[in-house]
Amino acid sequence: MIDPLTALLIAAGLTGVIITIFLPEQGLYPRWREGRRMTKRVQSEDALKFIHKREMERRGSTVESVAGVLHKRMDKTAVLLTIMQKDGLLTIENNQLHLTNKGRESALHIIRAHRLWERYLADKTGYTEADWHGRAELREHEMSTAELDALAAKLGNPTHDPHGDPIPRADGEVMIIAGRPLPATTCDTPARIIHLEDEPPIVYAQLIAEGLHPGMNIRMVESTNERVRFWSNGAEHLLAPIVANNITVQPIPNLDDIKPDETNYRLLSNLEIGESGVVAGIAPSCRGAERRRFMDLGILRGTTITAEMSSPGGDPTAYEIRGALIALRENQAKQIRIQSPEQATQQRATRWIAHSQGI
Amino acid sequence: MNTKQILQTAATLRWQIGQDFHEKLMEDIYTNAAVLADRAMTRPDEKPHFDFDRKLDQIVTSRIWGFPMMILLFTLVFWITIQGANYPSQWLATIFLEIGYPFLKNISTTIGAPWFIDGLLLDGVYLATAWVISVMLPPMAIFFPLFTLLEDFGYLPRVAFNLDNAFRKSGAHGKQSLSMMMGFGCNAAGVVAARVIDSPRERLIAIITNNFALCNGRWPTQILIATLFIGALAPPALAGLLSATAVVGVTMLGVFLSLAVSWGLSRTALKGEVSTFSLELPPYRPPRVLQTIYTSLIDRTLIILWRAIIFAIPAGAVIWLISNITISNISLAEYIIGWLNPLGFLIGLNGIILVAYIVAIPANEIIIPTILMLTVLVSGTNGDAGAGVLFELGNDGTKELLLAGGWTLLTAVNIMLFSLLHNPCSTTIYTIYKETGSRKWTAVATFLPLAMGFGLTFLITQLWRLFGGTG
Repeated sequence: MIDPLTALLIAAGLTGVIITIFLPEQGLYPRWREGRRMTKRVQSEDALKFIHKREMERRGSTVESVAGVLHKRMDKTAVLLTIMQKDGLLTIENNQLHLTNKGRESALHIIRAHRLWERYLADKTGYTEADWHGRAELREHEMSTAELDALAAKLGNPTHDPHGDPIPRADGEVMIIAGRPLPATTCDTPARIIHLEDEPPIVYAQLIAEGLHPGMNIRMVESTNERVRFWSNGAEHLLAPIVANNITVQPIPNLDDIKPDETNYRLLSNLEIGESGVVAGIAPSCRGAERRRFMDLGILRGTTITAEMSSPGGDPTAYEIRGALIALRENQAKQIRIQSPEQATQQRATRWIAHSQGI
Repeated sequence: MNTKQILQTAATLRWQIGQDFHEKLMEDIYTNAAVLADRAMTRPDEKPHFDFDRKLDQIVTSRIWGFPMMILLFTLVFWITIQGANYPSQWLATIFLEIGYPFLKNISTTIGAPWFIDGLLLDGVYLATAWVISVMLPPMAIFFPLFTLLEDFGYLPRVAFNLDNAFRKSGAHGKQSLSMMMGFGCNAAGVVAARVIDSPRERLIAIITNNFALCNGRWPTQILIATLFIGALAPPALAGLLSATAVVGVTMLGVFLSLAVSWGLSRTALKGEVSTFSLELPPYRPPRVLQTIYTSLIDRTLIILWRAIIFAIPAGAVIWLISNITISNISLAEYIIGWLNPLGFLIGLNGIILVAYIVAIPANEIIIPTILMLTVLVSGTNGDAGAGVLFELGNDGTKELLLAGGWTLLTAVNIMLFSLLHNPCSTTIYTIYKETGSRKWTAVATFLPLAMGFGLTFLITQLWRLFGGTG
């Protein structure tokens, strides 16, 4: 019969082989699939997307920069770009690349596919922020215009992707975001986050970890070369300027546009046991099934919530909501914004006056 | 204005209105409805009742009393189930096996019934089905009502609340503790119980990992093998304690693996499924005893028993057929055992055990009787029973027969592990398919534990042999 040591070694060897073949991303099979995916078409589409992005930023692109983005050798990139030129997608002048109308159209199609798919992942699936971009990068090359229109209709024709980038319309029109990087904001001027850059992923991961999301209001406290300090989402945030640069904000021109409950709130997770709060709203980052579930439970502006007890492990906490006892986890309670009951009463009074005066 | 202009205006307005206006609109509708309802509705003052609930909650979910109370209650439920099931199980066995079986055999011999009635129907189908019913029905009929009473009282959601922390860390829902506990009674019922989890991802996790909870059909195997082989290692005074520790150890391994697999699945295969959490802690109320017993008997016990019978019938036929169809005087069963022996040896089991696990896919209850029958068939020491006839022996007789069949301590350890880690029974597989509606997830739930079982027993066997253990 087989010697135990040999058996163990064979088994270890087999396991090793299976791992090298099927390991996600680094395995042979995923790499082979990635290689097959990187066809000429996908590469040329990626190149178009890149050149378009640089054009939007009013910066030129060269053969070198395209080679860098595609992780491809210079000579091969040159061949690829020449073919694209022949196909009438772009023009090459003095090593500067320019999109033709046809090229721009095709770039917009890819961008539309990418952003719509990100919106889909954010609203309809359980993938987390960190997964959206990578998955959309794969999917964007596989969708026809008809499929995109169907997807857009299913999602309620969204205007922005979850990072705040505008989604190009079917007719190719795209809104340009007019904002400025967060560090350039002046102190104490209220501003609204309109965009979070999702590349590079490591910086984006940091922004996610801070709980930031397009649509949140911020108030700058301090912006120096070393650090950027600001208030948002009920807490103070501290970021390195290079990270903060990936946040685009737009000043809020008319201060009356800010509802009081958009800036002045705490998070439900900070409620002490026995304390009550009145819901001011649900964070914009909370979407899809989770948001609907909250609303189904009656977590709506004006609802009073009392923290009743926490479980032996500290998380979840049970809250009294409209006469029912509902347990929520900490990361969920962080999505719900509350005010003190006094604040809420005061605000309701103001609103009532405004309402009765017909404002 | 022509159509194009209208569309243009609409598109511009759409940009101006900003993103998420659907959400905002819906939220306002909800909020206005809530305000209107609040204005129109008067609520009777329910404060005193609520206060009693809070007091109870503070004890039930307290850091000090929460877990001991939970352990005590569930130990009690299991103890009542095991003790209480003994007698009805014996009655059923007496009626079906000791009185019914010889009675039917007598009739068939008297009228000279052909082989497919006397052998296939009586020895095969009848015996296997009767076995499943008498082992399976009583514990289920006791466990499920008790469990449902706790649920009805409002205690179970508090358990989920207490345990959610551990389950959250493995990417699962606190209510998975409930479906898991239900799985200790019956995995098919546990899979159905996963309905209480409303988040799609966590529900799938609970369904796929339910098999790691040792079910009612596997407890007897665990207890028997632990008593015969593990307990025998200790001096007689400690034998009971040691074998009990072994069974609890396997159970705990199951709980641990179910959390570990949950962790793995939620980070890989199930990453994209929608996940939300909410757990309602309903007010306590006196349990409606009669209604609860009725519904738990109808909804849980009888439906599952019926499915088990449906699957036990072909299993009984197959067991009888493979032991009685012979090719050049050697039965089909012996051929298959011969083919599977090398694989069995590799994982410290043997061909007989593997064949038993294949033919007993419909019900884990008949594993041990099948193993005994096949061992007799192979060794040729044709005892009291004929080929393909299931039987049971006393503890001593069983051990003697198994030792004669080449069993060692290693075999015993491996079969305890393999009994924990193998495919769910066909009733459960079918239920998983019904609940998920997906062949893919049914396949994962079926083959994942099997692969883990092969891997673990292989590793243990080879290490055991490497370090000089016999077997």
